[in-house]
Amino acid sequence: MEEKIIFHIDVNSAYLSWEAVYRLQHGEKIDLRKIPSIVGGDESKRHGIVLAKSIPAKEYGILTGESVYSARQKCPNLTIVPPNYEIYMKASNSMMDLLREYSPYVQRYSIDEAFIDYSCHRENHYLDVAYQIKERIKDELGFTVNIGIGPNKLLAKMASDLKKPDRVHTLFYHEIKDKMWPLPVEKLFMVGSKTKRKLNGRGIFTIGELAQLDPDYIYSWLKKPGLLIWNYANGRENSPVKNSSPPVKSIGNSTTTSFDVDNKREGHMFLLAISEMVGMRIRELDLMGDVISLSLKNHQFYSYSHQKKLDIPTDSTNTIYNISKKLFDEMWTGEPIRRFSISISGLCSNDFCQLSLLEEYKERDKALDRTIDRIRYKYGYNSLIRSCFLHSGIKPIIGGVVAEEDYPMMSSIL
Amino acid sequence: MKVLMKPIEMIAWFPKEGVPIPLRYRITTSDDTNHVVKVHKVVYKEEEKLAGNRMILYRCESIINNRQKIYELKYEIDSCKWFLFKI
Repeated sequence: MEEKIIFHIDVNSAYLSWEAVYRLQHGEKIDLRKIPSIVGGDESKRHGIVLAKSIPAKEYGILTGESVYSARQKCPNLTIVPPNYEIYMKASNSMMDLLREYSPYVQRYSIDEAFIDYSCHRENHYLDVAYQIKERIKDELGFTVNIGIGPNKLLAKMASDLKKPDRVHTLFYHEIKDKMWPLPVEKLFMVGSKTKRKLNGRGIFTIGELAQLDPDYIYSWLKKPGLLIWNYANGRENSPVKNSSPPVKSIGNSTTTSFDVDNKREGHMFLLAISEMVGMRIRELDLMGDVISLSLKNHQFYSYSHQKKLDIPTDSTNTIYNISKKLFDEMWTGEPIRRFSISISGLCSNDFCQLSLLEEYKERDKALDRTIDRIRYKYGYNSLIRSCFLHSGIKPIIGGVVAEEDYPMMSSIL
Repeated sequence: MKVLMKPIEMIAWFPKEGVPIPLRYRITTSDDTNHVVKVHKVVYKEEEKLAGNRMILYRCESIINNRQKIYELKYEIDSCKWFLFKI
């Protein structure tokens, strides 16, 4: 079989580039990409982390994900702009439209990343096509991308990460040794800070060192995820480029509160506001779930969670709220809380469900939820809210970045 | 030309082909007076979709204060807003 040709397209400092281009289009004289700048959350609401940074900001050692406060200490004349997710969705959608002109197999991997399967189109050389795509995105849409080309999605993704910005890289099997193996092990897809620590602890610092380990040894030590990264280190991966997004396994929302929550009443209100969002989303997808989990982060940034399995699956806002309230009352020790998250898993279709003799089936609740959803989709999320949120300063529905749109999230599944 | 990006009020003609043609606009200056400018001629127009945001750019000619001037207008398709982009 002929080798596949997979492209991975990755927008260079996506949020920041899009913000910069949008501002230039609207008459801004300064290009954010050319000065030390970041896209950062609102510090007063305690969402103050760096979401994206410019290349000059990177030179000050600013990292994505660190606090805006520490970024400002590293670079006092830093320009900080707030995020605007609607602009980013628009930019991302127009890039996907452009990519679909080149192949029917385009997988949106996240808001700023995509895979293309270019195996069937051999009339044009893949390198020419990659350069053409890169240049067209730069000319037409105004931002730069890195394109990685490889025989599978993993190698294509590793290739696009090699040197930035505005470049095309290849990483075929014969190039793994020179291009991928010398890299530090944490550069490998799926190796996070914890795995890095474990690997470093046993003297494994580069991807090459990981690749040359004995698979039995790594299996006995790190089990299945160990074998996965060992295969990745050897460039082995064979998932197809999927046009549709992978099936949903759980639905959850979270919020970092703008103040520490230290009383039960406010805690319950935040839970209700998040439950509203989770409930709406699960019903929108025509799913139900039977495991509800609640996770809290306290003022010392320590996280803990509890979950409960239900007898019958649910998609009701009230049930989600009541269960998470119960979990909250069980687990909360009274310390100030800064972050709440609720998620529901064990998903199944809502076509039919097995009822339980021991639990009441509330058909009227179902109809009520549907009606509320319909009103909210038609007249806006705040057209109908629970009265307890009136004048409370707490938003009645919390969670998600773009309330109105389907925002593609990051995934660990290639 | 200098970048202004000032929102303006516009009377435009929407022909069958679909791309609107600016005819006459009103601009409010810093001293709060309104000026109406007739678009004498559209020299050229082009569509841009920077960051995925579609805008039509018009390079136009008008007589302003008895002098012939060249400037650029922008029409943002999503928001239906007109701007005096550069003059």
